[in-house]
Amino acid sequence: MSPSDVQAVARRSNSGQLPESAQRPGAGRHTLALFGAELHLVFGRARTWVLLAVLGLVPLLVGVAIRLSGSSGDAEGFIGQVAGNGFFLIVASLGLSLPFFLPTAVTVISGESLAGESSLGTLRSLLTAPAGRSRLLAAKMVALAVFCLTATLTVWLGGLIAGFVLFPVGDVVLLSGSTVSLTDGLLRALGIAVLIAGSLLGLAGIGLFVSSLTSTPLAAMAATFGAFIVFGILGAIPQIDEIHPWLLMYGWTSFADLLRDPPYWDAIVRNLLMQGAYLAVFYAAAWARLTSRDVNG
Amino acid sequence: MGAARRSRRWLVPVTAIAVVAGVGALGPVVADASPDLPGITAQDLLAKVQTAKVDGLSGTVRSAADLGLPALPGVEGESQIPDLLTGEHTARVAFAGPDKARVSVLDHMAERVLTTDGKTAWAYDSAKREAVKLALPARPAAPKVAPEREAYDPQAVAKKFLAAIDPSTAVDVTGTESVAGRDAYKLRLVPKTDKTTVGSVTLAIDSKTWVPLEVTVLPRTGSDPALQVGFSSVSFDVPAASTFAFTPPKGVKVTEKTLPAITPKKHSTPKALPKADPNKPATADRPTVIGEGWETIAVFRGVELDPGNGPLAQLLANARTVQGSWGSGKILTSKMVSALITDDGRVLVGLVTADTLAAAAPQAPR
Repeated sequence: MSPSDVQAVARRSNSGQLPESAQRPGAGRHTLALFGAELHLVFGRARTWVLLAVLGLVPLLVGVAIRLSGSSGDAEGFIGQVAGNGFFLIVASLGLSLPFFLPTAVTVISGESLAGESSLGTLRSLLTAPAGRSRLLAAKMVALAVFCLTATLTVWLGGLIAGFVLFPVGDVVLLSGSTVSLTDGLLRALGIAVLIAGSLLGLAGIGLFVSSLTSTPLAAMAATFGAFIVFGILGAIPQIDEIHPWLLMYGWTSFADLLRDPPYWDAIVRNLLMQGAYLAVFYAAAWARLTSRDVNG
Repeated sequence: MGAARRSRRWLVPVTAIAVVAGVGALGPVVADASPDLPGITAQDLLAKVQTAKVDGLSGTVRSAADLGLPALPGVEGESQIPDLLTGEHTARVAFAGPDKARVSVLDHMAERVLTTDGKTAWAYDSAKREAVKLALPARPAAPKVAPEREAYDPQAVAKKFLAAIDPSTAVDVTGTESVAGRDAYKLRLVPKTDKTTVGSVTLAIDSKTWVPLEVTVLPRTGSDPALQVGFSSVSFDVPAASTFAFTPPKGVKVTEKTLPAITPKKHSTPKALPKADPNKPATADRPTVIGEGWETIAVFRGVELDPGNGPLAQLLANARTVQGSWGSGKILTSKMVSALITDDGRVLVGLVTADTLAAAAPQAPR
């Protein structure tokens, strides 16, 4: 735990929480205060901002690399279109950060969420009020979801700035071969950022559950990332392709369907339902763990 | 809080798993519930299907193929096997009249569009950012833009199997099902011969328009479909003419080609293949056909197989060797397709058993 964490926790104590007393705030205004305090805790950490900064730099690095290589792009897919239209830097960066950078960031933040409080000793006081545990968990999850969205929007914004500075921009050619205005394209890219944030919710749920099992944040992060890698390995084995559609990352690339004319919703909806299912199961497990946990546990 | 009450809380995540698994497993089953439809005889249904005519339709087609073909790493990308015959695909299709068609194959983060309005045909590949413009002759016999166009049309696929109906096929109506939200009859074709690897072909026929909505091919062994092509959504409204127009986007390389007035029969259905003719030897791209109906075997000659040390060589090394008066060769079998590769460079392929292939080998022209 860095000093900034302790400060962040302390700040939450001052914003309506009474961690040292046995009382949790009641409903209404206090619930809002709790949610606000959780956001403060997540976004008050230096590491959160470092992660966001790295994500924001992904488009810049990709853009500079394409610019320096100077080729108009023999590469297929979105990367190959960046040189011709900076707009595609947004989509390409989002697609590139999806397999590794974004899951890593979500793993770090979600592994921290409950285990971090455990290791600091602040969870103990939060747990002494059983009525507040469900709400505490809800606040943790909302903060995680907000982080997922912030992370993808950071890439979107980074791609927008780097793409407009480094490359010419213009009307957007969709996968189906039709052309739409830049505004339409940017809105679709924004939709992609939101969809990818939604794709990360299942992993965030897993992280939250793992985090409720241990009091060592590092162990929680490692276990969550391990689970992510296991999903990746299972998805790469062709002999078990019967279970592939049920794996966490199966529908992650469905975001590209938003760039068809008209958008193809089937795979997108299926992916969001899958993420919802993973989230429901692991959130319920985290809830069962947290509410049945000994105060000292 | 007692330990019992505490452990009871774990019932919540367990219930969540059960609900998710239940919805995931049973959802499709409930959606496929058999609708109530008046009874119909196989002959009546067959007659209705063969005279079915719609002015136009559009929808989404899903296909899944598992022919049990060996996966050859490194070969797949450049494979000559039509992509419909491997894996799962989704395509948006629209048809209007005899000469207007649009098929968009929704690839992974890419799309291939094939469209024709009767005068011009376009093929666009978003991954390669290339477009091919094909000027069609004034009166094309049958504008064959690409085999994909037919492959993603359940009607066209069904027609091929219906054409194969002969006295060697048992036809019956096996019930009803719901396909793409429409009530459909299930028409099952079962080959009577045991020389083919095809177990049965089931067509889901729409009960209002009599258009085939889905084709399912089952192998003789096993219960997993070898091929399934069907609509996941369909509309029988005639698509607007603009659907079939295509404007190449800026920055896309356009190649223009003109189709000669007399369309060469490049891609023909097995039914339309030329009969075996000893005076006209078969070549690598022009197969000869032996047998008919379900027992049709295509013979390719002069195929230069140089497997080297790749996975194909390994596959051939493990293959069964057969011999006869005709010579000797290697037999490759999968659950649907069998191939006999003779030592003198002939290849016999068919949806038949390995023994049938070996028996047909003497008839194959050298």
